[in-house]
Amino acid sequence: MESFNAYLLASAIFAPVVAGLLLIAGRILPRNWVSGLAFVGFALPAAAVLWFLLPASGPLDALLRLRFTGPWLFQLGLNGLSAPLFAMTAAVGLAAGLKALIQDVEARSTYLGLILFMFGGTLAVFATDNILGFYFFHEFALIPTFILTLFWGGEGRRSAAMQMAIYLTVGAMLSLAGILIAMQVAGLGWGDATFAALFQGLFAADAPLPAATGALTLFGLGTLASLFPFHSWAAPGYSAAPTPVSMLHAGALKKFGLYGIVIVAAASMKIGQGALGQWFFWCALANLVVVGLICVAQRDLKQLLSWSSVAHMGPIFLGLWVGTAKGQAAGIDAALFLMVAHGLSCAALFLLANAVRTRAGTYRFEELGGLAARTPVLAAFFVAATMASIGLPGFGNFWGEVGVFLSLRAEPLWVQALVASTVVISAIYALRAVATVFFGPESKQVAERAAHAPFGDLGFTERLAAVVLLGASLTIGFCPSLVTRCTNADAQGIAQAAVRSSAPKAPAIPVQAPKAVAPAPSAR
Amino acid sequence: MSPDLSSLVHWILFLPLGAAALSALFLRRSGAVAAWFSTATAFAIAALSLRLLTQSTGDVTWHVELAKLGEISLGFGYLIDANARLMLFVVSFVAAWIHLFSVGYMQDDAARGRFFAGLSIFMFSILGIVVADNLLMTFIFWELVGFSSYMLIAHYFDKDFAAAASKKAFITNRLGDLGFILGIALCLHLYGTLDFAALKAHAGPAVPVAVGALLMCGFLGKSAQFPLHVWLTDAMAGPTPVSALIHAATMVAAGVYFMARVSFLLAPEVLQWMAISGAGMAALAGLCALAQTDIKKSLAYSTLAHLGIMGCALGLGHPELAVLHMAMHAFFKATLFLGAGSVIHGCHHEQDMLKMGGLLKKMPLTAATFIAATLSNCAVPFFAGWYSKDAILEAAWHGHHVAVFAFLALAALATCLYSGRMIRLVFLGEANSEAAEHAHESPWTMTLPISVLGLVFAVGAGFAAHYLIPASSLQVVHESLAEMRFSFTAPSTIVGLLALALGLGGALKFYGTVRGADALQVVSPRAYALLERRWMDGLYRWWIDGPQRRLAEFVAFLDLLLINGVAVRWIAGGATAALGHLTGRSFHRGQTRGYALWIVVGSLLLAWYLLAR
Repeated sequence: MESFNAYLLASAIFAPVVAGLLLIAGRILPRNWVSGLAFVGFALPAAAVLWFLLPASGPLDALLRLRFTGPWLFQLGLNGLSAPLFAMTAAVGLAAGLKALIQDVEARSTYLGLILFMFGGTLAVFATDNILGFYFFHEFALIPTFILTLFWGGEGRRSAAMQMAIYLTVGAMLSLAGILIAMQVAGLGWGDATFAALFQGLFAADAPLPAATGALTLFGLGTLASLFPFHSWAAPGYSAAPTPVSMLHAGALKKFGLYGIVIVAAASMKIGQGALGQWFFWCALANLVVVGLICVAQRDLKQLLSWSSVAHMGPIFLGLWVGTAKGQAAGIDAALFLMVAHGLSCAALFLLANAVRTRAGTYRFEELGGLAARTPVLAAFFVAATMASIGLPGFGNFWGEVGVFLSLRAEPLWVQALVASTVVISAIYALRAVATVFFGPESKQVAERAAHAPFGDLGFTERLAAVVLLGASLTIGFCPSLVTRCTNADAQGIAQAAVRSSAPKAPAIPVQAPKAVAPAPSAR
Repeated sequence: MSPDLSSLVHWILFLPLGAAALSALFLRRSGAVAAWFSTATAFAIAALSLRLLTQSTGDVTWHVELAKLGEISLGFGYLIDANARLMLFVVSFVAAWIHLFSVGYMQDDAARGRFFAGLSIFMFSILGIVVADNLLMTFIFWELVGFSSYMLIAHYFDKDFAAAASKKAFITNRLGDLGFILGIALCLHLYGTLDFAALKAHAGPAVPVAVGALLMCGFLGKSAQFPLHVWLTDAMAGPTPVSALIHAATMVAAGVYFMARVSFLLAPEVLQWMAISGAGMAALAGLCALAQTDIKKSLAYSTLAHLGIMGCALGLGHPELAVLHMAMHAFFKATLFLGAGSVIHGCHHEQDMLKMGGLLKKMPLTAATFIAATLSNCAVPFFAGWYSKDAILEAAWHGHHVAVFAFLALAALATCLYSGRMIRLVFLGEANSEAAEHAHESPWTMTLPISVLGLVFAVGAGFAAHYLIPASSLQVVHESLAEMRFSFTAPSTIVGLLALALGLGGALKFYGTVRGADALQVVSPRAYALLERRWMDGLYRWWIDGPQRRLAEFVAFLDLLLINGVAVRWIAGGATAALGHLTGRSFHRGQTRGYALWIVVGSLLLAWYLLAR
């Protein structure tokens, strides 16, 4: 069973990449082969995740200890923090793939192949212990993202793609610079730089970490996750990208930055302490409040979703902040939960917003209205996804938001009140969007469009994709322990390590953090 | 304590969720099936609640831990005490009859599947609030109630007013929930737990004012209390059974129930505020009901008034009286709304009272039940409403709260005035429109529920309390009823009877003087306009269109100007130009280079700053 599971995990990551390679290389493949091959690539990871969720696949501990040892960087395996993100990526990838399969685009097999590359790279990001691999797979997923946005994107795609490319590359480079300093202090080379080794190396190192290390890593990785004020790339980037790319990028790939902060920086770089902690706090709060207000001013559905996807990073950053500044493990648990849940809800919203666009021909609020009468199923799904994103109980986002909020309970009342005010602000802009697009009398544009090019309700494939995403969100909403039993122990360890005073070399605190410290059976 | 009773609660709670899922997923196109299926479920729940009432004597408790976030335990469990049993019975019983009523009322609606799925999800949510054993679980179902109310108000979503009303209800409720969640966080911070039982054990006699004040915000939103009352009258945009079930009988009462449940967390200052504002609200809303011509909106103001009375009872330190009034009010107000629904149905969807009239002869059964419930509403002695309302008046008198008593007396007068006006305009006199001329009695699915709720419960619930409300729940109210002296010389009774005679009699006479128009509007247009004007709505409207919108646009503009524009393009772009890299032709390229430079420069500056400290 052990080795079967390990191979299954590896093939879940390789399948999209191999399928992508075949699609890009073999452009002469017959059309139905293209779809079939791409579907296998998109669906296999989700199938593997489903299997891992079954009791028959063995206990959770064993799954987290699984290691697939291949050549070079391909030392693959999950940990408690990355397993939920991996599962979320599989769901988002499947939904994005289903959407991509029904799109009518030029150079279809290349398009699908690039999305599969992006998907495979994102999966691998969450399944590697090696820091070099972590960055390598990230770039591996990011480059197709730029290409896809540049060639298959919508309005304003050129400048958006360039802006995104530069922001994200620079962000990655800055964070890598920070990590390089840390590796030097810890005395690690590329070959042996795993997350666990970095943590333990820094823990044992005599020399203190240069103060800039944490800042470089935090703001570098923060740029990738659209931390205020390094967020300007995000909204135009998501808006211009093709829908499956927005889904994968905003939903899954963006979590690279957040996951990086948790696994590399949180425990060992003191990012929540001192002046840096203050900066972190204010930036996170600005994400929440300033970007929340920017959302209220939006007049275009996709722009709104893109901005709200930035705003929703606010609670995640605040959870990470309170975890690393105050040692509140609940903050880290809840931030992880919200990363997973936000990935699902945000992908669902991008998917459904595009369904609106393909039918009504526009994203602009002033031209939309009364769509629910013609497309009741689309409206129902859209309302559900909106409710998920504003934290209605039953969907996963609720646990994340409420958990971050409760973990801030010892902060001053004004902080709590500002954070809690987002439940109102997000309701204002999200429900306004629903009411404008779907409720009320039919708009002129929709009526004309329906007369000239009659459109139907949500098709089977789109429904399936939405069901995958919302179903996953409901599952963790009703069964939050699915996520928390993975993350609890590591979050506890990170929170403890983050607030441990650096001065005395304390006797080893039992830190289960960033990695299962015990050598895994199949590790090299 | 017995395990089979907690499994009974599982059934009560999850049956409606199953029904909702089934209706939403599979019965969307077969409305009739969904309607009867949902109604059967509602009656099954009512039967189960009745069984729970009659069989359980002590508290039923059950608890599991769903997950842990850090050291915070996310619990799910039941705490069924006497209050909860009474509330379960009232909610499920009233809801079952309203379901049956809806079968008739929604006969011709194309989206019956969605409607009944909404009713079922609402049942799930409200029952969750009733059984919850901790604050977080209460909050979860609290939010779900808000959601189901949103969906049901938006039933006629193609109408602008329904779309706006649903949004308004949800956002106003969230405004209250903001305070609620702050209160939950404060409780967790102070006492380290969210379980009601543990909180009760931990909370000493001196609870900080903030705890109660913040938790009260949830109540203000859900029970539509000042200053968050603005959504309730707009919520009448939903179908009438929804108004009856959610916005009169149960959801708005959930706030009262919750406050009663956490009454040990309310500091004296909070209680003081609730008593004064509740009584003031009762008087004001009662008077505002006089300036509405839409029968449902007039009833909505009446609900606001009664919620004020309940809030006042809580503030006076009598949570059990508040719960009792909640129960009695649920019976007679559900009857009134369903009766109004029957009238609206009979008059071919006419809601303007000035266009009705003379319906007593055309819809005798509806008229009889409506009038009976109205008398209960006016607190005619020995009708259901009299027992609870008089007890609250009496409590105010005994507590030496002069202002509260005065407001409540005014509220009693206002209640009789608008009730008399309603009966005069709708049922007496001559028909004032074509629609009223051709009005017809409603089918049995509609008249049976109003007969049961109206004639049996609205009239007799208090009188026959010992028989109709099973003994186990009466222990809540029995003592407080016993210690109140019911005599015709008690001040509350004298005030009540005076209000009744003056109000009801005066209104019946006054509103008969003018035909086809509102007598008050004719006599004193200024007073009418004063009552009709919605001051708080204007204030909110001003805030949303003015400061809020301008602030949002200003921040968006600043972001564009400062971060995206000045910082990225100008400073970074300018720096590049100064270095000689930027030519006019390649401005676009320079701009993107600018981004890169800005990030590098910014991060380096930040790093340098941190390093230097």
